[in-house]
Amino acid sequence: MESPENRGITAALAHRVGKGANGGQIADVVVSAWKDIKITVGPIIGQRGVAALYQRSLYLTGPAFPWLAAICDSARTDLDLAGLKTVLAQQESANAAAGGAALLQTYYELLTSLVGPSLTERLFRSVWTNSLGDPPAQDASP
Amino acid sequence: MTDKVTINRLATGVPGLDEVLGGGLPEFSFNLIAGSPGCGKTTLAHQMMFALATPERPALYLTVLGEPPLKMLRYQQQFDFFDSESINHSIHFINLADDTLTGDLDQVLRRIVAEVQTHAPALVFVDSFRSMMLASSPQGNPHSDLQQFIQQLGILMTSWQATTFLIGEYFTETDENPVFTVADGLIWLRQSVQRNSMVRKMEVMKMRGQATLPGLHTFRISATGIKVFAPADVTVPTGAKAAAGPNNSRLLMGIPRLDEMLGGGLPRGYSMLVAGPSGSGKSILAAAFLAEGARCGETGVIAAFEQHPNRSRNRVLNDLIESGRVGLVDTRAPDLSIDETVLLLMKEIQRLKASRVVIDSLSGFELALAPTFRVDFRESLSCMVTALAATGVSVLMTSELEDRYIDLRFSPYGTAFLTDAIIVQRYIEVDSRLLRVMAVVKVRSSTHSDELRLFHIDGDGIHIGEMLPDQEGLLGGRPTRKRIADLPAPTIIPQDAKSPKSFST
Repeated sequence: MESPENRGITAALAHRVGKGANGGQIADVVVSAWKDIKITVGPIIGQRGVAALYQRSLYLTGPAFPWLAAICDSARTDLDLAGLKTVLAQQESANAAAGGAALLQTYYELLTSLVGPSLTERLFRSVWTNSLGDPPAQDASP
Repeated sequence: MTDKVTINRLATGVPGLDEVLGGGLPEFSFNLIAGSPGCGKTTLAHQMMFALATPERPALYLTVLGEPPLKMLRYQQQFDFFDSESINHSIHFINLADDTLTGDLDQVLRRIVAEVQTHAPALVFVDSFRSMMLASSPQGNPHSDLQQFIQQLGILMTSWQATTFLIGEYFTETDENPVFTVADGLIWLRQSVQRNSMVRKMEVMKMRGQATLPGLHTFRISATGIKVFAPADVTVPTGAKAAAGPNNSRLLMGIPRLDEMLGGGLPRGYSMLVAGPSGSGKSILAAAFLAEGARCGETGVIAAFEQHPNRSRNRVLNDLIESGRVGLVDTRAPDLSIDETVLLLMKEIQRLKASRVVIDSLSGFELALAPTFRVDFRESLSCMVTALAATGVSVLMTSELEDRYIDLRFSPYGTAFLTDAIIVQRYIEVDSRLLRVMAVVKVRSSTHSDELRLFHIDGDGIHIGEMLPDQEGLLGGRPTRKRIADLPAPTIIPQDAKSPKSFST
């Protein structure tokens, strides 16, 4: 079952890529969101911190999206965005959008569990505006 | 007019710290916050940062190796001062781990310069500085040894007009460490553990340009953050002269005849010690003192150090506390210090504009203190009495006194000299009964009675009765009836002795 937050990110992603986008276009949007995360969250928790949480998110989304599990390498200390882009582009658009959103969502929830919703929301604010358009719906209502 | 530079002092936002620092934190100073793990360095840094940072005067918090930033953010946000909205707004966290891992201090310095230029911070924190030093390997640029790095950093931060804090784990202050020399300020945090008690202490070992309060100052860390307990004598706010009446006036004690024995009541602003053995009626006397105050329209404050606060407190006192005419200082916090107690008392005195203060009892107080403070109990007590006296309140302290019939003692702490007035209560044995006697031993600069009077306690409180002129050796606990030949001609002791036999001390 999808959580409201998940619908938020999925909806934002769908809105951003537009109807009929292919895997490659979805990959571009998702990767740009990750670059934003790298820029905004990286300085604060360190690039290694960002990478560790990214690997953990890949691991957690792996069972639902085996193609994400395939690029999981917990030993890496940097974000392998090229690898992510490649696997996203290989998927059908619906699957790419779902997997890309799930990965972002998992990351968001992971960070929330560690530093709390308010700080996570603060850190992701520019990610929403830059890469995913308007903040997702769940931000408006508690 | 002077043409000397004026050093602005920043209010740190940490209660009590500005007093200990000697008036706040000098602007553009280069400071070191040091101490062993878990002593509160990062918390102190965060609390000051959240208090001082504004969008116009932003703060840069550089995290190096050591506590991972995720963990730091996770734990620091438990404090009330942590405001997520400030982050990326007035507060910027920057992780320097990757630069530090290179072991090249020049690289670290370049990165710091870049961040400082980007954010133009008024406050810079480097946490932890020690891990940066450990990471600097000998393979680094030989021109950039640690001493030079610190020197450079100091110059850089000062010229960027940034007040800087290096946070580091150091175990001894005698470490050969160049940063101790370069730093303008050195704040050392400690944890003193004795048996099962742990007390946090802070020492400002150095603060260029101003006189700090020397020595160790206790502090506590709670959900609101750090609170430093500056010594009692500086916590007295100027002009805090409590709601005192006209000078030379006297306070009634609320016990008939006791006022007469005191020569008309307790002179306002005096401190009084009521000493006596267990169960002799000290607390009842103290309660009567507060009740009389309430009757006269005055408010009071009591710090009660009892094993069972609710069970043992008497009804009169409970009513006064419930009606808000007497403030109760909560003394149940573990590992209490005298400075903290004084602070609590002062706050309550100010809140209620109180004129009467009771400390019941000094023996319980001593037990409530962390063991580390018991050694200095007498000295600290003296500070407390002085601080309370400075506010103009009248203080009544009770003191448990082991009944020793071989010597005449008033207090186990040598506190007698600290107080302006002393009442002593004793048990005596007469006709197979344990009777109580009371005497006024001292009222500074005032005449008072020298009578040793019987008293009894019933539901209405203390009732002072007669002397026992036909008995002698009362203070020995087992008086004997005087021989007839020794007795003076029979006299009638007036029931309402208007002018008691008196002398001046």
